[in-house]
Amino acid sequence: MTEGFGASGGCDQVMDRVVLLEEVSRTYRRGDEEVHALAGLSLGLGPGEMVALVGPSGCGKSTALNLVAAVDRPDSGTVRVCGVDVGSAPEAHLEKLRRRSIGMVFQAFHLVPHLTVEENISLPLALDRRRDSVRVEELLRRVGLEHRRRHYPSELSGGEQQRTAVARALVHRPQVVVADEPTGNLDSKTGAAVIELLAELRREEGAALVLATHDGAVASLADRVLELADGRMVG
Amino acid sequence: MIFRALFLRPLLRQPWRFAVTVLGVAAGVAAVVSTVAASRAAVASFAEGVEEVAGAARFEVTRPGGLPESLLANLRPITDHAIVVPVVEESVLLIELGDGVRLLGVDFLLDAEVRPVLDRGTARSSLDSVLLGFGAVISRALANQLQVTLGDTLTVSANGRPGAIEVAGIFDGGELSAVWERVILMDVAAAQELLGRVGRLDRIELVPRSGADLDLLQARAAELLPSDVSVAEPSERRRFAEQMLASLRFNLVALSAISVLVGGVLVATTLATSVVQRRFVVSLLRSMGASRARVASVVLAEATAIGLVGGALGVIVGFLGARVALASVRFTVASVVRGIPASEIRFEPGLALLGVALAVATALAASVLPLLEVASTPPLQGLRAAVPRRLDRSARWRTIGLLLATAVAVVLLSLLPAWGDLPVAALLAALLVMGALLAGSGLLLDLLSRIGHGPVLRLPSVAMRLAAAALSASRRRAAWAAGAVAVAVALAVAIATMVTSFRTTVEHWTEAGMRADVWVRPMAASTGVWVGHLDPEVVAVAEAIFGPEVVDPFYSVNVEYEGRPVAFAGAAFDVVQHFGSVPFPGRDSAAVFAEAYQRRGAVVNEPFANRFGIREGDRVRIELPGGTLEREVVGVFTDYSRSHGLVVVDRTDFLVHFPDRGPEDMALFLPPGSDPEAARERLLEAMRGRFLVEALVNRELRSAVLRAFERTFAITTAMYLVAAVVSVVAIVTVLFTLVGERRGELATVRALGGSRSLVMRMVVAEAGLLGVAAAGQGTVAGLVVGVILVKVVNLQSFGWSLELVLPWSTLVPLAGWVVFACLLAGLAPALAASRLQPAEVLREEG
Repeated sequence: MTEGFGASGGCDQVMDRVVLLEEVSRTYRRGDEEVHALAGLSLGLGPGEMVALVGPSGCGKSTALNLVAAVDRPDSGTVRVCGVDVGSAPEAHLEKLRRRSIGMVFQAFHLVPHLTVEENISLPLALDRRRDSVRVEELLRRVGLEHRRRHYPSELSGGEQQRTAVARALVHRPQVVVADEPTGNLDSKTGAAVIELLAELRREEGAALVLATHDGAVASLADRVLELADGRMVG
Repeated sequence: MIFRALFLRPLLRQPWRFAVTVLGVAAGVAAVVSTVAASRAAVASFAEGVEEVAGAARFEVTRPGGLPESLLANLRPITDHAIVVPVVEESVLLIELGDGVRLLGVDFLLDAEVRPVLDRGTARSSLDSVLLGFGAVISRALANQLQVTLGDTLTVSANGRPGAIEVAGIFDGGELSAVWERVILMDVAAAQELLGRVGRLDRIELVPRSGADLDLLQARAAELLPSDVSVAEPSERRRFAEQMLASLRFNLVALSAISVLVGGVLVATTLATSVVQRRFVVSLLRSMGASRARVASVVLAEATAIGLVGGALGVIVGFLGARVALASVRFTVASVVRGIPASEIRFEPGLALLGVALAVATALAASVLPLLEVASTPPLQGLRAAVPRRLDRSARWRTIGLLLATAVAVVLLSLLPAWGDLPVAALLAALLVMGALLAGSGLLLDLLSRIGHGPVLRLPSVAMRLAAAALSASRRRAAWAAGAVAVAVALAVAIATMVTSFRTTVEHWTEAGMRADVWVRPMAASTGVWVGHLDPEVVAVAEAIFGPEVVDPFYSVNVEYEGRPVAFAGAAFDVVQHFGSVPFPGRDSAAVFAEAYQRRGAVVNEPFANRFGIREGDRVRIELPGGTLEREVVGVFTDYSRSHGLVVVDRTDFLVHFPDRGPEDMALFLPPGSDPEAARERLLEAMRGRFLVEALVNRELRSAVLRAFERTFAITTAMYLVAAVVSVVAIVTVLFTLVGERRGELATVRALGGSRSLVMRMVVAEAGLLGVAAAGQGTVAGLVVGVILVKVVNLQSFGWSLELVLPWSTLVPLAGWVVFACLLAGLAPALAASRLQPAEVLREEG
């Protein structure tokens, strides 16, 4: 089923849940070891809502985020993002979903090293064969990197790299933004500045935000905080 | 531990990388080994073979065109000091073998002392049949190949005359050189009769008796013989053959060395990329106290391992490939020095060692770039992602300056004269052009990526833009891959330029100079190897049918001019003055021959004129049997058949100095309106049952010349195929490495919604851009090298000038094929890239 996912690739129906995980399990192999990353996880996310996933390393936060970002599929249970069944949708639908409806921010930034700041921010639009220089300009200004637009990621500080990643995650006006430990590689001051920026922009854009974090201060900014342990919700 | 971390573990985890590099080196070494082994084997029968066949003989009495048997009597006074052995030698066609063999007529009663090796394991039916009939002794290898045994009959065509010989003995040549496998021994008298050479010898061998003073023996023999007879060591004949083949060997080996250059570039590319891949580990080890020298030693160990394994593999493949290459080289060698080149390749430990050493040296030389990479890798604390910088202005100008300096050096080297007849400076210039490709490819890739980013010429798709940006970022490694492919393209374009120029020149030459209606030659071996002369009676038969005024026999012997080997020939000037023959640039061929006939002058070919600085109007003095011949040079004709030089006089002049052993070939000029095919049939009918000759009409002769041309160039064509394979391997290696390096980036593109096909297109586009860069610069460099080969190397090596014809019709398809091959080479890494699971990669990379 791909209901709710129109030709535009965006959430074209008003839904009370843009993200819905029901009894989701995910196991993967690490060498000879089988890792049960998620075991019956359920959660929902409304439009514009901000949810923080917290818990110790290995509790399944990143796996859950990968499912929400539609870069991974569940072994069992249902994952719906903007109405698209991530478990059963063809790969091409998931690609379109990621291009149009999802924005991602990573702990390690994952900027394309040989593209400039401006080009990195434009990348989601370019992947969708779109151009919107006004939007890129606006985001460059909002994240305070107008003067660094021609620089490469390796020439930026960690905070600047993450601000670039935030702009890239929002440039295509996604319905859902996924952020995996967005402040994990930053000092606390820079991390706070980045998360404030992300929260503010998310509010203005009306996107739902799900983030994984170890940082209590970051989690406190969320509408809801969900605690995971051993792949299940414990709080 | 460092060795394990940096070399052994990566080798075990990614054995394909090591294997691919080893294959690249092996391909280059195989090209060199096969060329050297084939040309050495082909030359061996003329060079090493001379002394081996000579056996215990220390001196040879010879004279161009042979000796009268009566000279044996002159040597009677020295028989107390030496055994005097008469020898007759000729190349004949062995019909059952379909190839040429060397027929050696010796005195069997004396020969056991000269060539005792032939007595080993010899089975003989009866000495009578050897001494009295047409009995022959052959090697067991030849007997096995022909599946004949004692008493069986073989047919040879000597000077176009078929003759039956009986296998009267088989010697066990197990330990002997391949030279003996193509030798038939007969009694000297029988050989003389078979060859129509009764009373004539080719040489007299002197085998000193024990205690004889060699110098005294040589001096005494010389005293007893006429002054135009030479008494020299057998090695003199070898020197003569080697001189004639020196240019050919040098050029073949130089050409194959370019394959090693391509292999070297591949090693450099792979080692450099492997260091980059292990940059993190290098950095970690450095931060834990490992010195640069220790890390560098691992790179050198890897290079050595690649060289050793690649060299060993290349040597094996090279010796196998030499068997194939021999067919081409054998033909070429046989056309330079008339005779029977060896047909077998023997393993040569010296050459094998040289091949391995070459591979190791190449690999070590190629490790310079990775060693620089190691030296510049900081400890972990300072390690950051490599900054993807474009070339800055000063680097650009430095590269442009280097390229300009190279261009000047190339021009200067091309203007230098040959070093001892070898075009060393010109080939160095060609090598410099190839080197410039490696220096220039970084600049070109930088330019391409700028175009991709530029506002004016933005590339049309995201995949292309990402590909251009990625190439720009990994410019150094990508430049080596583009350089490797460009070298291969340049090699192909250069060879195409040379072959096209040569072919066109030869076509024009045959059109202008081959005017005979029918051309007659002895039956040639199926391998194209030249065998013997035409019997003089063939000329008589033709003259009787068509009249002497239209028959032009061409006689030729090898003589020395100013201490160097040249061909001396006789032609029927009285005939060709009416019809014309070889072309004289800017002059009417018939008129030149008429002038030469009237003034008893000579004509010389262009290689002779160039080698000895002879111009029209000069006089040439040649020492010949019976005295010195001095003639005015009336004309210089273009000739692409004899690179060591040819002097042609009227046949009456020739036959004064040399006995009529029959011409090499014979041309017939028919009256206008005659049917050449009917004339041919008439001639062959008159000879049927008596002579085995081939008669070609004009059209067939021209196509035979062009076929011979194709055959000569077969090995050079094979050479660039090797280079092409190596360069595709380079592209695959580099792209796999780049994809491996950019796993995180590719996963990010996929996570942001980039499709599998986008990622594939991106990698294929990178391969395509590499191909475009390589094809572009390779074509330009190839044309430059082609001009050097055509205008300088050919002139210096062979003395002939060629028309320069640029191979436009092959350039465009060639460039298209290169880009297509690169795109194909990009498919496997592209597929691997598209199969990356973004979730897994992002999990691994944080």
